[in-house]
Parts: sequence; structure tokens; C-alpha cells
Amino acid sequence: MNELRTIARKEFFQAITNKGVLIAAFIFAIWFPVFTTLGILAGISGDPGTALAGHLASLSVVLAIFMGYLFSADAFFREKKDGTILTLLCAPVSLRQIWEGKVLGVATAAYGMTILSVLITVAVAFAFSPVGITLPWLLLVHLAIILPIYAAASAGIIGAAQLYLGMRENQFLGMGFVFLFIFLIFGLQTFISPEGGVTVQTELFFFVLGLVLLLIGRRWAGRLSKERIVRTIA
Amino acid sequence: MQAIRAENLSKFFDGRAVLDNVSFSVEKGEIFGYLGPNGAGKTTTINLFLGLLTPDSGRATVNGVDLGSDDEARRRIGVLFENNGFSERQSAYENLRYYGRLYGMEDPDGRVDELLGMIGMADRAYDPVGTFSTGMKRKLGIARAILHKPEVLFLDEPSSGLDPDAQRMVRDLILSLSATGGMTVFINSHHLDEVQRICTRVAILAGGRIRAEDSIARLTASGNESSIWIAFEGGRVPEDALLSLRSLPGIAGTELEGEGIICTLTGDAKAPDLISALVAAGYRIEEVKKRSANLEEIYLRYVHTGEDAS
Repeated sequence: MNELRTIARKEFFQAITNKGVLIAAFIFAIWFPVFTTLGILAGISGDPGTALAGHLASLSVVLAIFMGYLFSADAFFREKKDGTILTLLCAPVSLRQIWEGKVLGVATAAYGMTILSVLITVAVAFAFSPVGITLPWLLLVHLAIILPIYAAASAGIIGAAQLYLGMRENQFLGMGFVFLFIFLIFGLQTFISPEGGVTVQTELFFFVLGLVLLLIGRRWAGRLSKERIVRTIA
Repeated sequence: MQAIRAENLSKFFDGRAVLDNVSFSVEKGEIFGYLGPNGAGKTTTINLFLGLLTPDSGRATVNGVDLGSDDEARRRIGVLFENNGFSERQSAYENLRYYGRLYGMEDPDGRVDELLGMIGMADRAYDPVGTFSTGMKRKLGIARAILHKPEVLFLDEPSSGLDPDAQRMVRDLILSLSATGGMTVFINSHHLDEVQRICTRVAILAGGRIRAEDSIARLTASGNESSIWIAFEGGRVPEDALLSLRSLPGIAGTELEGEGIICTLTGDAKAPDLISALVAAGYRIEEVKKRSANLEEIYLRYVHTGEDAS
């Protein structure tokens, strides 16, 4: 447990002190949600609280996935760039523990950035909405439970893929992965709850699917061999 | 007691044998040099011991266990790879503390301070490693490898990139770790002079096979026990000296080296007889040295001729 915390703490601080990644994260966290929210507010016909909550619920999941990808890609690629991966693999921790520690640290940073984005978006919405907005309590559940799962699932699957592929800096692959992730989630959500919004049904769907994706990443990382990593990074 | 053991170890990459039935062992507390040209399979051997690769046949064990399947056993191992393996944006202090905690040290700060002081880097403790020179990173790498006081230490080219002062510091450190701490040290190196100074035994690997394995004293003694070097008065080799020497009985070969001649004697020839014969022939001799082969000559012989000590 100590080793897990040690790895997670390092990854978290590395994530929040990487200027390049932080700038990209800030741009994506503020620009994209604020402008789409202003667009939503301009076209509201029904209850603004319900419309905004539905929008925020979907948007924040996309953000959490993207932030997970952004921080995770850096965390795993850095091991190859700095040449630290072999030394880390020789430490008395399993490959799965390394993956778990990294995912925990990276997902914490990604989740923090997503929450910051949601708060800014809500503040902008309240400031520019012509009518009063009351957000449903389920949105809090969404922010507190669903988002960290998606940040971790995204970071975890990207991380396992990086380990599998020799930690190459392949942005096309990463972005392709992110979009596949997002289309999968929203495709399935449309199938389960065509009306969208934040309902107990959609939250349960998000929760179960997020957990399944997270476990897929964990299982994938656990089944990787050190030999594959050593030989693919060479 | 054996600390490191390879038993009939073989490893193939894409159908090519990188290691072919390699066997050797290293006793506890020994400083063992593992020599070989680039691509001979030295790093593959270390990776097999560390559990980073799986052997295709045979066994590689450290302290009697396979490190690939025993996470806890790796707590007693220290390692320094050729690339130092530091997070470039973290400070020296943060890097060492991180690895200390990974190796189960509850409070590594005191030990980190001690090691940074020992390698003369206390004043750079809080600078990012990315700002360090190659030599500084190397010294820091050695500090990290011994941070948790391992029983067995694997060092891949430990002196690479170090200036002579730092090389001496590393040599002294390795010797003291073995002498006072009983640490077993396995060194992969091309730096033959360094290996000759600090290692008790060596193995020479070429073409994926062990060509020789013995103590340095025995290897060098077996290499050239019957050679002497003769220097003549005035610091110059007389023009006819080489021809005269070759005509004497008991001379297997002659060759110029520096300001003298190396004479290789046949099995029954004696150096005093040769010197007496030269003096009788009118040559004025200033210096005679019994010449033993150095590790470099032994290494080159096994690597280039593909000769096998066995």
C-alpha cells in the first residue's frame, strides 16, 4: 500500500508541474466547455437547470476521459523518455502495482482539472443565464462518483496500451482511443436512455460501464509481461 | 555461499541465440566482472537475473530465487543500468527519496543526506536531475543503487561518463561495500583497467558463450608466464639485437615494445640463461622485467580468436 501511495504521489506532482500538459489541459478545460455551455443557454426552451445538468453530465465525462488521456500519455511516455522504466521494473513492486499507482496519481490530477472545468462552466452559466438555474442533486453524485471513475478508466486503458506498445509517443493512436471511448459511451447511453439528462438510470449506466472499462485496463496491465515491455522499448 | 547463479542459461531473440548455455556463479561478497564486446549478451544476462526477461532454457537465480517471480526478493537487490534512470524534472533528493520509499524505507531522508554527502552532491540536492552532467547522474545512480543497502548489486558500466576523480571514488566505494558490507557486486564493463583493479573474478562472454571464467590473477598468469621485457643501455634497441635473440636457443618469439624487446621463452628456457647469453654476446642490458599479460590482452585473445578457456 505504501508503494502504491509513493508511486501515485509522484505521478500526481509530476502531472501538475508539467507546464506543457497543463497548458493543453487548461485550454481544453475552459475553452471547450464554456463556449458549448453558452451555446446551450442561448437555445434553452424548457427548464434551464435540467438542460444545463444534462449538458454538464455528458460534457464532464468527455472532459474526464480527455484529461485522463492527456496526463496518462505523459506519465507513461515519460518513463521511456527519462529511461526510468527498467529501474522501476526492478523495484520490489509488481507491474500491476506500478500501473495502479500511476493511474491513481494521474486520475487524481485529471479529476481535479475536470472539476475545475465544471466549476468554471457552472459559474459562467450562472453569470450569463437570463433566468435562475437550479441544478439537480444527482449532478453532485455524477461529479463525485462518475467522473473519477472515467478519469481513472481513461488513464488506465491508455496506460496499459502504452505499456503494451512500448511507450511510444503516438498521439494519433491516443486520440483514436479517446474518441472510440467517447463514442462507445455515448452510443450506449443513447441506446439505454434516449432522452439523456441526469437520471438515476443514466448514472447507473455510467457507473457500471466506467467500472467495466477500469477493470479491463487493470486486467490488461496485470497480464502484461516485463519481457514485452523491455523488448518493445528497445 | 552462492549469491548469483546461472545454470545452462539460454536466450533467443528472433531465433538467434543471444546466450547459449551459459553457466557461472558468483560467491557472496565477491566483486565479479562480466566482460564482453557490444552485443555479446551482457545486458541480456543482467536482465535475466533481474527478472526482466525470461530464459528460454536454464535458470538465473539471485540469492537462490528467481527475481522475476518474487517481488519481495527484489528488495535485497540494487541496480544501476547504463542509462541512469532518473526523473529529469525531479530533484536529486526527490529521486532518491522516491526509490527509498519504493524499497520499503520508512524514512529515507537521513540515508539520502548521507549518500548525497558521500558523493559530493549535497549542494545540488534540490536541483532538477535534468540540469546535471553525465558524471553527476552516474554518481547519483550509484547512490540510488545502494540506498537501501542491498545484498547484491548489479552495475552496468558504473564508470561510464565519470572523470578520473569520480572513477576512483566509485572504485573505492565498490571495494568498501564488498569489504565492509559483504555486498556481492556484479559489474558489466568495458573498462578493463577498472575491472582489473577491483574485481576478484571475471567471466568473458563472446558470441553468447562464456569463453573464460576465473580469478584475474590466474587468467593473467596463464596468459603470458614466460615473457620478459629487456631494455638496453642508452634507451635504444641495438639494430642487430632482434636477430641475435632469435638465434638463441629457447626463444619462441620476439617483438619490439617501447624502448625494449619482449622475448617469449619456450617451456624449458630460463630467463637468467638468456640474459647471460646476451651479455656474453656483448650487449649491455639496463633493465629486465618479467612481463605478465594484463586483462586487456587476455580479453582480446578470448574475444577475437573465439578461443575457449575450457
